[in-house]
Amino acid sequence: MNTLRLYIKSIGMLLKSHLQYPSSFIMQTLAQLVMEGGEMMVVILIVDRFESLKGWSGGNLYFFFGIMSVSFYLTEMFGRGITGDFPSMVRTGRLDTFLVRPRGVLTQVLCGGTDPRRISCIAVGVAALIMGSNLSNIAWNPLKVLVLVESIAMSCLLILGLFMIEAIFCIFSVKSVELVNAITYGGRSACQYPIDIYPLPLRALFTVIAPFALTMHVPAAWIMDKPLYGWPIWTAFVTPLSGAVVFAVMTALFHLALRHYRSTGS
Amino acid sequence: MSYIEVKNLKKNFTVKKKHEKGKLLREKEIVNALKEVSFSVDKGELVGYIGPNGAGKSTTVKILSGILTPDGGEVTVGGIVPWKERKRHVRNIGVVFGQRSQLWWDVPIIDSYMLLRDIYRIPQGDYESRLKELTSALQLEELMRTPLRLLSLGQRMRAELCGSLLHRPQLLFLDEPTIGLDAVSKLALRDFLKWENNEYGTTIMLTTHDMEDIEALCSRVMVLGHGKKLFDGKLPDLLERYDTVRNVNIKYEGTITDLRLPEGVSCSHTEDGIELSYNPTKLPTSKFLGLLQEAGNISELTLQPQNTDHMIAAMYKELDL
Amino acid sequence: MPYFTVFKMRLRMELQYRGAMIGGIACQMFFGLILVALYRALYAGKPQSIPIESVATYVWLQQAFFRMMLASDSELVDKIRSGDIAYDMCRPVDMYGFYYARIMAQKLMGSLMRAVPMLIVAFLLPKGWGISLPASFLELLAALPALLLGLLCVCALENITVAFTMKTLDPRGMQGLLNLLMMTLSGNLFPLTLFPESWQKIITFLPYAQLLDAPIRLYTGEYLPQEAFRIYGIQAFWAVILIALGVSMWNANKRRMIVQGG
Repeated sequence: MNTLRLYIKSIGMLLKSHLQYPSSFIMQTLAQLVMEGGEMMVVILIVDRFESLKGWSGGNLYFFFGIMSVSFYLTEMFGRGITGDFPSMVRTGRLDTFLVRPRGVLTQVLCGGTDPRRISCIAVGVAALIMGSNLSNIAWNPLKVLVLVESIAMSCLLILGLFMIEAIFCIFSVKSVELVNAITYGGRSACQYPIDIYPLPLRALFTVIAPFALTMHVPAAWIMDKPLYGWPIWTAFVTPLSGAVVFAVMTALFHLALRHYRSTGS
Repeated sequence: MSYIEVKNLKKNFTVKKKHEKGKLLREKEIVNALKEVSFSVDKGELVGYIGPNGAGKSTTVKILSGILTPDGGEVTVGGIVPWKERKRHVRNIGVVFGQRSQLWWDVPIIDSYMLLRDIYRIPQGDYESRLKELTSALQLEELMRTPLRLLSLGQRMRAELCGSLLHRPQLLFLDEPTIGLDAVSKLALRDFLKWENNEYGTTIMLTTHDMEDIEALCSRVMVLGHGKKLFDGKLPDLLERYDTVRNVNIKYEGTITDLRLPEGVSCSHTEDGIELSYNPTKLPTSKFLGLLQEAGNISELTLQPQNTDHMIAAMYKELDL
Repeated sequence: MPYFTVFKMRLRMELQYRGAMIGGIACQMFFGLILVALYRALYAGKPQSIPIESVATYVWLQQAFFRMMLASDSELVDKIRSGDIAYDMCRPVDMYGFYYARIMAQKLMGSLMRAVPMLIVAFLLPKGWGISLPASFLELLAALPALLLGLLCVCALENITVAFTMKTLDPRGMQGLLNLLMMTLSGNLFPLTLFPESWQKIITFLPYAQLLDAPIRLYTGEYLPQEAFRIYGIQAFWAVILIALGVSMWNANKRRMIVQGG
């Protein structure tokens, strides 16, 4: 609980420093809005030309897009320390100062960065979710809401976990960030569409290694009354937990990697 | 058993060599940053840790503060192995890195302190009294509402010190604390460190390139070079060994014809006359003065001992660092 | 020739980052694969008049030359942010030409070194997944000058972006917007050939379509070889306009900086 309070306070302080430059902040937030709007426009153009995708209606596609967008940008907003700032934390030696404080390193990294500009991307995602929900005629009930929340939360953990691969590479000062982007940003691009449109190797990748299919597609399909993979209904409640598993594994690896941290000379 | 115990400490780094033509992979090289370093420090000591760049000073401090895991040897600080019980260990230490900040850049420093209070879980009462004491000792009262980025270098260092001492650490590491500071700030900083050491018996270990820091503060000095401990003792004892050169400043009446000096005497002409330095053990002073007198009529002559920086440079040179 | 020297220097710098390049290629290949898979699935439901092979080719060429679009000179942006650009503005060479050469070297080398291995792999993929050869040699021949003209346009565009960012206090927001415009309207995000037909009439005339869309269409035969000179004409038109606009913006900035004293 104490940790959560610390996190909220830290984020509050970071917000304060972001707002020291209000015009820049507003401008960048708008730019983010247009960017994510552009991504959404692509889906609209696809629906306009192709109408449906392997049995998924336009509404379904918007819904998938919305879940991905909300999850991805929530992670970028609150997990900025991992998704964006970590390399600079290593380079500038901020990681050293984290290591000499009596708190978890990961906690401090997460406390050390936030990206409130992403709020506009999240707004686009929410709009897509609402649009998708209306067009797909989803009959909402408390259970479905719960599954949606679970799905988004677990997807966030999954995305955070995947970005931690980059952080781990960074600790070992390996410069292969672009390769990791394939699974993080590539995962976002691929998995904002239903997973079953992809050939087997890609499907396997996003089910077993970076299980977006489990945290996102299986529950979303159930919410839209279209079971995915033909799995039984209860799987929609269980499979999202794989996001937490990935996060736990990556956290363990992260701490293992810190033992080999070299710190930049001086 | 002493407060800090270091035995046979070893740390290696693998460094990638520059890419050679015709080879697909870069070759790696192992650099021994620390080779079997041992020492112990008692509570309340003020220890200076010196050595040329790349000697392993920072590596030692980083191991002692729990940032790095060593490759061999034993370290305990107050009975705790730093990298094994990092969180328990760092509660008792404060670290100030000269060139990096642990406070938040864009917010008033008081906000940073409040966050540090939460990070270290300092009870409110302790926090308030300690903050009051530190801000008055470091003359920070006026600056509490100023964002860090607007502070001068000297003010920033004081603010950093305050931040690293809020939780009353028993051990304070300072990595080149006076780098880039003006004379007034340096003196104030040294006074403060002495005060903190006297008042609370805080053990202080500092690395520096500024010998005046060591002279002013440290009863004990350790010299590190090539990853080995080369000296451990009092500063005067260290200097005695390398205090071999005397400086002479000399002025002649009118111009001089020829000043013939034996080898080993360095000579430079300045606006203020001629600066010479010689080694009394190799060239007896009486003989040296004789040579000077032969050259012309001396109007002024001052003889000075060598300054510390020169001695250290001579030491590094002799030890081939 | 200072412009040639700066060009050579950047080339050598680009060559140094081999590791990042290999990672970048793998990542870009992966994005290409995902996109082709997506369009194949879409085509399975509702085939379009443009054959899927052309769409796959379009995607691969876009991915291969992705680096050409990307704002390449982060050093330059840092210089603007820190204000160090003022020193550069006072050097005795034409700064527009200086940065034009620099950006061109980066874009050319960055994209060629990535494009060649990527295109080789893309050729090896099965038909309909990878890139297909053009119907005739003539089409390949027609596409090459268009690619070169496209490069001239994109360098001019980036210089305009830079000039813009020098004026605004916040380069990141502005750059984000201009980048998005480029990604969308150049066909990187979604092939221009799949945009609604009525939109295409306008979009294909805009400068962004001249960068890669025009050469790709010549390559896939969307534009016939006999149309080539008309296309070159449009591209050259934009290249001239964009360079003229860029030069005038840089000069205006220079005057402003001298007046302000840096």
